[in-house]
Amino acid sequence: MGVAVLLKQVPDTTAKISISGGRVDEGSITKWSISPYDEYALENAIQLKEAGFGDVVAITCGPARAAKCLTEAAAVGADRLIHILTDSYLDSIQVQSLLSAAVKETGFEVVMCGKQAADTNSGSTGPGLASTLGFSCVGGVTGVSIDGGLAYATRLGPSGLEKVEVGGPCVFTFDKGDSELRRPNVRGIMMAKKKPIDSLLPNDLGIGDSNSMVVIKDHSSPPEKQPGQKFVGSESVPEVVEKLRGEANVI
Amino acid sequence: MAYEALDFYDIDSLLTEEERMVRDMVRDWVEDRVLPNIEDACRDGVFPDEWRVEIGEMGILGAPLKGYGCPGLSYIAYGLICQELERGDSGVRSFASVQGSLAMYPIWDFGSEEQKEKYLPGMAKGELVGCFGLTEPDYGSNPGDMITRAEDKGDHFLLNGAKMWITNGTIADLAVVWAKLEGEIRGFIVEKGDEGFSAPEMKGKHSLKASVTSELVFQDCKIPKDRILPSVKGLRGPFSCLNNARYGISWGAVGAAQSCFNSAREYALSRIQFGHPIASFQLVQNKLSWMLREITKGQLLAFHIGKKKDDGSWIPEQISLAKMNNVDMALEIARMSRDIHGANGILDEYPVMRHMANLESVKTYEGTHDIHNLILGRHITGIQSFTREP
Repeated sequence: MGVAVLLKQVPDTTAKISISGGRVDEGSITKWSISPYDEYALENAIQLKEAGFGDVVAITCGPARAAKCLTEAAAVGADRLIHILTDSYLDSIQVQSLLSAAVKETGFEVVMCGKQAADTNSGSTGPGLASTLGFSCVGGVTGVSIDGGLAYATRLGPSGLEKVEVGGPCVFTFDKGDSELRRPNVRGIMMAKKKPIDSLLPNDLGIGDSNSMVVIKDHSSPPEKQPGQKFVGSESVPEVVEKLRGEANVI
Repeated sequence: MAYEALDFYDIDSLLTEEERMVRDMVRDWVEDRVLPNIEDACRDGVFPDEWRVEIGEMGILGAPLKGYGCPGLSYIAYGLICQELERGDSGVRSFASVQGSLAMYPIWDFGSEEQKEKYLPGMAKGELVGCFGLTEPDYGSNPGDMITRAEDKGDHFLLNGAKMWITNGTIADLAVVWAKLEGEIRGFIVEKGDEGFSAPEMKGKHSLKASVTSELVFQDCKIPKDRILPSVKGLRGPFSCLNNARYGISWGAVGAAQSCFNSAREYALSRIQFGHPIASFQLVQNKLSWMLREITKGQLLAFHIGKKKDDGSWIPEQISLAKMNNVDMALEIARMSRDIHGANGILDEYPVMRHMANLESVKTYEGTHDIHNLILGRHITGIQSFTREP
């Protein structure tokens, strides 16, 4: 029994991104963080652990710098840390395969992750993992509790709150949760220092990390936002109305 | 935009991962909980009790002390904690400095086993608040001539006198009070409910407004015999405490300076005048460049004295240098930063004038600028010039 939490390291949402030579310049990114929706998944997993559901395993897939995510997870209570170490660019299928293999090795049947990563926003990892593992998938949840062998997930439906009951193995993808994210404390940080990270190479899981089906051709900055137009005086009203109708298409 | 703490000579690379994580934990807490609320706290003149609780929960109080539930972190980590707290506000960092270096530390170093067991665990959690009573209305830079006195009455001590400028006093559960017993300075633990003890708050401050500053009044205050700190006599007691606090302040000042520099830089890049951002003008670049130089020097001083605190090779004069230099440069940077912000710099939309006002207190407490100057002068020449006596 226990929860596997998938964490992705992304540039901090407030970090400045610069492009150099047609690529995002990773060296210029001053702060890397756990993707925000993943943090809600981690928080919920720790709460389940505190309720007696078992250990929390935190899993990440990425280059060496991604290990920091695992240490941060350990500082708030993750018990076991798995780092699938790769420098390669991976397509979604590869990510899902690697993470699935790692989850399978834990034997855990409850998996939690963010509904989408803050950098790629594709949202495919959770459902893709569920499909590969043959687990159910409940998306966009705000909280999960477990009672008598069944999981109860809450999420926002079109007309109100939905409560979903799930028996059997399941992947839960998280939206912004109900709970406040706990802060680490000094004791947690000092214990996290002592927690070993299981570092695996993709080949250790029997999966290669080359031959991504997706190749990035280049990155470029979005076009600069045009400065707004300024209109002064009541004589300009007809012109403004015309622009709102003809250019902005809001009337 | 993410806060970028100036670190031009990459002090970050000299830190352990644990030190970095502790720093980031405090930095995130200050971002989430202090910065959105500090201007209100300052305007209302209150230190929000939730901050005491959350600081306690982070486990950063009494950072370098070991045992009795204390964190047992390095002095570098303690410095980083002070830096990040003071980037938020000097008043918040004062709460932690007083609790850790001035109240917990004397009990830890000079107290009996029973006193350590009784007070330290609760203080480490922030559940028991402490304060430090040395300064008196008529005795500030000259604590040695204090008139607060303790008399041995057989089965209790009787305290008479008053202390002033005491951070945390009104909210404290206990006070470590320095008083003369038969003419010799000793430390006494006075508890909130002790007969004859009161701690009225001092009002009307233009500085450290988000901090509680109090008087401690002893009128035939009766305390049990077991409240005396057994292991220290004379000024060595309070001065040891002050050295620890001063060390933290040398880092704290860097945090305040970083906050002012960051604000000035961002403002200068976005403020357009004469068709260009003011960051493109030479006089503005000169000021920003000076700030960068001083912050970098201050960081290196603080880091190096932190290493010496950790390996035990320090002397008090080295701490005087760091406190004096860093607070001085931080106050100048706050003023210069206000200047770069122009009229906007007087608004509480920017932190600069709040830091500027706070730093006036930081320059004065824990040994005024002038006193540290004379401490160094005595070290250089062997001749004391605090008084006219030989």
